[in-house]
Amino acid sequence: MKIAYYPGCSLHSSGIEYDISSRKICAFLGIELVEIKNWICCGSSPAHQKDELMSLVLPTKNLTLAVKTGNLKEICAPCSSCYSRLKFAQDRLKNESLKKDVEEIVGCKYPQDIEVLHILDVIFKKVGIDAIKEKVTRSLSGHKVACYYGCLITRPPKVTARERFENPTDMESVIEALGAEAVDWNRKTFCCGASFALTQTDVVLELTKKILTDAISSGAQSICVGCPLCHVNLDSRQKQINERFNTNFNIPIFYFTELIGLALGIEAKDLGISRHFIDAEDFLNERKLK
Amino acid sequence: MKIIDQNQVDVDNAFVKEIQQRSGQNVFLCYQCRKCASGCPSRMFMDSTPTELMRYVQLGMVDAAMKKNTIWYCLSCQTCSARCPQNIDIAHVVDTIRILVQEKKIKADTKNTRVFNWLWMKMLKWMGRIYEVGLTGMLNLITGKPFKDLSLGLAMIRNGKLRLLPSIRKPLMMRMMFSRAKKFKK
Repeated sequence: MKIAYYPGCSLHSSGIEYDISSRKICAFLGIELVEIKNWICCGSSPAHQKDELMSLVLPTKNLTLAVKTGNLKEICAPCSSCYSRLKFAQDRLKNESLKKDVEEIVGCKYPQDIEVLHILDVIFKKVGIDAIKEKVTRSLSGHKVACYYGCLITRPPKVTARERFENPTDMESVIEALGAEAVDWNRKTFCCGASFALTQTDVVLELTKKILTDAISSGAQSICVGCPLCHVNLDSRQKQINERFNTNFNIPIFYFTELIGLALGIEAKDLGISRHFIDAEDFLNERKLK
Repeated sequence: MKIIDQNQVDVDNAFVKEIQQRSGQNVFLCYQCRKCASGCPSRMFMDSTPTELMRYVQLGMVDAAMKKNTIWYCLSCQTCSARCPQNIDIAHVVDTIRILVQEKKIKADTKNTRVFNWLWMKMLKWMGRIYEVGLTGMLNLITGKPFKDLSLGLAMIRNGKLRLLPSIRKPLMMRMMFSRAKKFKK
């Protein structure tokens, strides 16, 4: 199965291990990710806060580029901010006059029948839980994971068309298919403060602390995420949080794609896990997952 | 609960109309149930809650809506829009007010968001993609905190998590799209 791949700016930089692990597991599971040629930034938060028209033009341009790249009708965006912007554009362009304006600015027709998928959807819907279970060669049994969705994979439901937007369970199903135990916890869709990472770091530290505290008190040994911005906040800012609040956090943060990769038997170093701030080596050694 | 004396409020109908027209949201559907305020993760930082903000908009209280820090502490996490029992896209209303403040160049403490947005869009226009190292560096320089997150940045480079050189895509096409979009706004 061929799916257009829209990595976005983060996956080429601070979220590079998400890119590596997504490509690796998709190849392993029989999905061919075709990177969109010359993709451009989706505009992310600054675009919709500053220039509404451009915040629709930029994702639309990427949708048209996906069609140009081998006439693909499905597009996979692992970054939840990119995913959200693509979905938003599709939702807002149901308005005909707005669609006409955007088409004129983009310079080509808006492809209506394209399906935007988060990488979680690709794994959960396109590959399926049973297919993953069959391919697991190294069970993660005995390992307790808190699945963290963040904001934009599920919200707003009008745009993402998800029924369980307050208590999603797709990631839990995937994690349990790998043999691990998904813990029940409260803040799986609570915001980590991603859009303020550079401008108001204080807010980020406060919100991230709440997420880490809740995950640990629910018995999680690690947290798995599906967004590069959440990963940067939860992983690389633990040291800053410890300094600020006099806490003692040291919990490994994985992309859920990395956990799938480990369970499929791919080596940790091939998944980019060594790039994390919170050292996952001991953790993996202990469980003989390296 | 704050009580607003409606005789002492300068009601600006044009403001409400503009917000409604641009966001496509009927703000008068809000009956102040406070579900948005209860779920807002950023609530503790705000001068007034999202619920109060909606009331300011309904009453046309331009200054209160535009100059309080509420809109600049909105994380765009979409919790309010997802939960509103009246199906008002509150986050879209907030975005619309933020856009108006930036367009009209109104003085407000935007917590560096204005300069961040400006830098981001400029970078996009000239390079097509965001160059994280350049963006962070320039933001820190402009906001007068050149060493903010420096050790974090260096550790990221050590871990191979930052791309040191920018990747530039279709700068000509980007500028053409931006200039075509400009015409539509007039």
